[in-house]
Parts: sequence; structure tokens; C-alpha cells
Amino acid sequence: MSTDYTRTLRRERFWLHLLVIVLVLLVMFPFVWLLIMSFKTIDDIFAWPPKWFFTPTLENYTGLWQGDFPASFANSLITSVGSTVIAILLGVPGAYALSRLPVRRSNRLSILILASRMAPPIAFTIPYFLAYRYVGLLDTRIGLILIYLTFNLSLVVWLMRSFFDATPRALEEAAWIDGASLMQGFVKIILPLSGPGLAATAILCFLYSWNDFFFALILTRTEATTAPVAIVNFMNYEGWAWGKIAAGGAMVMLPVLVFSMLVRRFLIEGMTAGAVKG
Amino acid sequence: MSTAISGTLTAARLHRRTLLRSALVGSAAAAVGLRAPAVLGQAKKFAGVTLQGASFASTFFGYLQNYIPEFEEETGMKVNFVTNAFPVFNQRTDLELSTQGSALDVINVTFIYSGRWIGAGWVENLKPFVEDPNLTPDDWDASDFVGGTMASLQDANGDAHGFPWEAGAMIMAAARADLLDQKGLALPTTFDELMNVCEMTKGMERVAPFTADKLHHWNWIPYLMGMGGTVFKDPPANLTPTWDTPEAAKAADFYGKLLSEYGPPGVLSFTDDQSMQSQKTGRANIRTQAITWMVPLSKDPDSRVADKVRYGPVPAGPAGSFPGSNSHGFGIPVGSKNKEAAWEFIKWAVGKDITLRMLEEHGYPSVCRRSIIDSELFKETLTLNGQDVASLYLETLELGGKSGYMKYRTVPQFPQVGDKINKAIEKVATGQADGATAMAQAQEEAVADLKKSGVQIDG
Repeated sequence: MSTDYTRTLRRERFWLHLLVIVLVLLVMFPFVWLLIMSFKTIDDIFAWPPKWFFTPTLENYTGLWQGDFPASFANSLITSVGSTVIAILLGVPGAYALSRLPVRRSNRLSILILASRMAPPIAFTIPYFLAYRYVGLLDTRIGLILIYLTFNLSLVVWLMRSFFDATPRALEEAAWIDGASLMQGFVKIILPLSGPGLAATAILCFLYSWNDFFFALILTRTEATTAPVAIVNFMNYEGWAWGKIAAGGAMVMLPVLVFSMLVRRFLIEGMTAGAVKG
Repeated sequence: MSTAISGTLTAARLHRRTLLRSALVGSAAAAVGLRAPAVLGQAKKFAGVTLQGASFASTFFGYLQNYIPEFEEETGMKVNFVTNAFPVFNQRTDLELSTQGSALDVINVTFIYSGRWIGAGWVENLKPFVEDPNLTPDDWDASDFVGGTMASLQDANGDAHGFPWEAGAMIMAAARADLLDQKGLALPTTFDELMNVCEMTKGMERVAPFTADKLHHWNWIPYLMGMGGTVFKDPPANLTPTWDTPEAAKAADFYGKLLSEYGPPGVLSFTDDQSMQSQKTGRANIRTQAITWMVPLSKDPDSRVADKVRYGPVPAGPAGSFPGSNSHGFGIPVGSKNKEAAWEFIKWAVGKDITLRMLEEHGYPSVCRRSIIDSELFKETLTLNGQDVASLYLETLELGGKSGYMKYRTVPQFPQVGDKINKAIEKVATGQADGATAMAQAQEEAVADLKKSGVQIDG
């Protein structure tokens, strides 16, 4: 009986593992294909049937690095990191305040904050464009940081609020009894406990800014162009630079991948922490 | 210290002497009826002006960048010309023009947007610039541009709002003409012959008989018109779509069959470039497309079909031959604050001198000036694999200009309804619907869209 049960369990586990492997392969295939393509010559890229074994080349990466791409890459990094840091700095105290406010007022304010994400980005295009032109923020990194901030701030407030809600108030009350100020209680007790949530929120903010194409397309020209827009610029009228597009795509994925790997533990904890509230 | 003062005095004397000598020469020249050189009297006309230009990236601008320093030296202005990908440029410029911005002084007037941009009055009328002898010398010759290349850049009164730097003329290329030779077949000249050639060469050396890219609302139209159909009833006056007709259904079935039965794997998702690559690598044979995509088959060093490719006109249908043609030109946004400088740039960039130099030094084939197209040099450049493609190019451009069948493409609403055609052809090629059903459905969707945007539709 027990042997049968173990066997069934093993069989189930085998199929589950197989399913996971198949899913991973399916999900990863486009990325692997892109990565392989970035090391191929144009002849190898268009070879039919596709070549799995070939002499790798770095020409796509070196070509990428000799043009305007490094500047665009730097713009992406600066605007994404900038907007994430500012959103966290402004949003986290706001989320804490909302979490500790009486429920009715807190909910009303939260809905108002969320309203900034209710309309599709395209609805704001013309007003933003005209306003930016008027104040001279077109094609500037500061302009992009401000735009990303408007979207990221509400995300930070909403996500962090749920983390703070899940943190027992008794902990900060104990700190107050011991003589800590409101700020000390927040910084020394609550924030360290919310580390995973903070990491997850920061990653999401970074991803939203990093992957933005639409606003970067509309609100930049040459100086503040970001990497996703720069990659599209390899699609020339008379032909697409496939190798450079693939290399650019791989480069764009790299920081997100590295960042996510570094804080993987926090990310998983953060994603699940607010999900179950007991 | 004293040496410095003495040096300054010497310089001052020299300066005074130079000035007096210049004044004397100037007066003497004026006395004998000669005009003193402009440099003696004034600085360069556009000194201090920074001209902001934008277009989509193209080899033309790659070549032009080499000559811009000469232009800057000559005029004194600084040119900041930015090129982006085709969709990026169009999106940004459309927004800039629609908000009457002054960020750009010279732009490319994109063919498919020309009706919208010119019709809305967002691009300056260049007639006053051309007719002003102080701004444009006679020998610049605005009438030298081939009619077909100017058609999309003119308003309803025939006034030019742009001058072309690029022209596209649709031709046919058989990348593996050797397969036709093996079967004793000539290059097809009619739709029936095209279908027959595809059938006869199917399966030979694993080469797909036909290839295309997914922009069906450009590629399919010559087949629609060849069958006797039209896109709109009478563009730009009457924009009622005419796709629920037997001609449109027949053309959709015909083209759908070319793609599904004779196209390479994945042809329905091919971009322009992928389609060209399928020909260059010898994986596909016949394609009807603009000359820009055909010249590389015989000229690119990495082409594997350079000695096998053969060119011909787009096959004719029962109603005739309607090869697509288009052109892109320079224009001046109405919001520009440097219009004279912009005109100086346009005059120079599409002038005879630069056009000729681009042809001589880079072999740039998309020439729009008749005087250069008629030259021996152009014929030599466009003699591809022993064939006179130059004549083919000129014939196609003239055809589009004369009969005006390309007008459908420059109406502001075309990009919107063109997508319906793309979907319909995909449905036919994938067997989801027959030509009649798919086109009738597309017609219905296009009519609804056009009505929503306030266009008067018949019936």
C-alpha cells in the first residue's frame, strides 16, 4: 500500500517536473533564440534550415557599442533608477501614512492615488507633449523621470500599503513606549521588516520605467532617447539590422536579469507576503 | 610690454591698410560695373542659424551627411539632421506637425502621410519660394522632377509642398531566373503567366516560386487594379471603399493563392527585409516590390543570386498594369522659424549637383530628376545583370504620375483602412475565408471606420 502510494507520488512528481521543464522551454525559447541570434552573422541569421552550430561573432555587439546605443542605454539606466529611487522615497512614507490612517479616509485617498493609473497612457500623450514643450522638458531625462514617477508613485503607495497593513502595529507601539519617535519607529522597526516588499516594489517600478517605449518615443528626440527606442531605430527603411536588434534586445534584458537574480529571494518573499493576511 | 604694444599697433596699421585696400578695390569694381564679392560686404547669409531636420533613416541620408559640412561652410548655418526608424519618425513628426510645433525646420514628407500633412495645411506651400528669383535661380529647375515623384507632394491646386529625394517604383524580380530557363519559361508578363510560372517551378531545388512581405495593402493593390478593381471609388473626392466587388474577390483569391501555395514558410509574417533576404539567399524566386528592394539582389556583395536575377515589369492583369510607385520629399513645417534657411537646404539637398554626386560617388539609384535619369551614367548604374532597369524605373514613375491611380494611397484615411486589407488577405491566404467573404467583411469594417472619422460614404 505504502509502496504503491510512493510510486504514485513519484509518478505525479515526474509528470509535474516534466510539465515545468516544457513550460520553461516554451517561455525561454524566444529569449534563447534572441541571444543566439545576437552572436550570428547576417548570413547565419537567415540560413535555412536554421543553424544551431555556427561560429559565434561579437560584431553585432561591437557595432552596437560604436553607435548611439551606449548613450541611450545610459539614458534608460538613469531615468529608470532615478524614477524608482524618487518613487520609493516619496511613496513609502505616503503608504505608511495611509496604512495608519483611519480606514475610511485612507481608502478614499488610496483610490484617488490609484486614479492616475486608470486611464491608458495614450490619453495623456497630447497634454504631456504640449506641456513639456511649453516648459522645455521635451527630450530631457528629467522629463522622463517625472513621467515615470507619476505612474510609479501610485504603484509604490498601493503595494507598500498592503505590506505595512500586514505588519503588526504592536511592534511600532512597543518602540514608542520605549521612547522612539514616530519616524524612528518607521525607519528602525517597520522598514526593515518590509525589506522584501520594498525590493519587490522597487523591481516592479524599475521594470515599468525600463520597459517603457511609448512615452520615450513621444517625449524624446535625440538627447534623452532610451534603449527600447534606440533598438527600433535599427529598423531602417531599406532593411532591418537583425543582428543589432538582437544584440540590443539582449543588452536591454541584461540589467533586469542581473537585478532580479540578485534580489530573487526578496522578490519571492515580497510577492507572497501581502497575499495571505491572517 | 613694448613689443606687445608695437605688435598691436602694427596689427592695427595692417588692419587699417587691409580695410582701405578692400574699400578701394570695392569702389573700383563698383565703378567699372562689377559687383563686389558678397564676402567683402557681409557675413554668410545664414550664419548663426541652426537648422533642425528630421527624417526616417535611409541610405540617402547616410550619403547626404558626407556633404553637409560643405553646405554648412557655404551658407554659414549649422545643420542638425536627425534620422529615426520609419515608424518612430512618422509618429513623432505627426505629433509635432499636428501641434504646430517649431522644433523642426525641414522634414521628410512621408508618402502615406502626405495627404494628411499637406491637406491639413501643416506643411508649407513651396510655390512662393520656387517663384522668387531671389530665393531660387532658374537653373534649379523645379520642372525637372518626374511627374510621378511629385504627385504626392502637391496639393489640390498642383502647388508643391515638397520636393522628392526618394522614389520607389514597383518592378518584378525573379531571383532564380535560372529555374525558369530550365523549364523553358520566359519572365511572366501577365497574371496568368505568373501563376503558370509558379506552378511549373514549384518544388524545384526547394526554392519557393513566389515571395512577398506582409504589407499587403501595398503589394496586393497592383493585382486588385490589374483585375479591374479599385481601392476607393474616386479618391480623394469619393472615399467609398470598393472591395465587395467580383474584381476585388478575384484579386484576393489570386494573391492569396500565390502566397499560400507558392510562398516560402512563414511568408505571411515576412517583413520587407525578410522577403528580400529570402530572394538574396536564393530561397525564393519571384517578387513584385519597389526597386529599392530589388537592386540589392544584383548589387549587394552578399547576394547569392547576383548572376541569376532577372528584372521585368509588374505583370499585367486583364485591366492592365498598375505598378505601385511612391516618393518621399523634403518639406517645411508651417511652424518652422527658419523657413528661408530650410528652403536653402532643400534646394541644395535635391539640387542637380548633389543628386549627380550621389549617383557618381555612391550609385544611389532612387533619382527623381529627369535630366539625371536620362543620363548615360544613370543607365549604366541601373544596368543590372545586363538589363536596362533604368527605363523600367522611369516608365513606372511616369505611369503613376500620369493616370493618378496612386492617389488612393495619399488620402489621410488610407493607413487606417489599409490594415483591413492586410487582415483580409491574411484570411484568404490562411484559408479562413474565400476572397469574396474576406473582402466583403473588410469593406464593412472600413466603411464603419471611415464613417466614424466623418467621411461621406455612398449608399
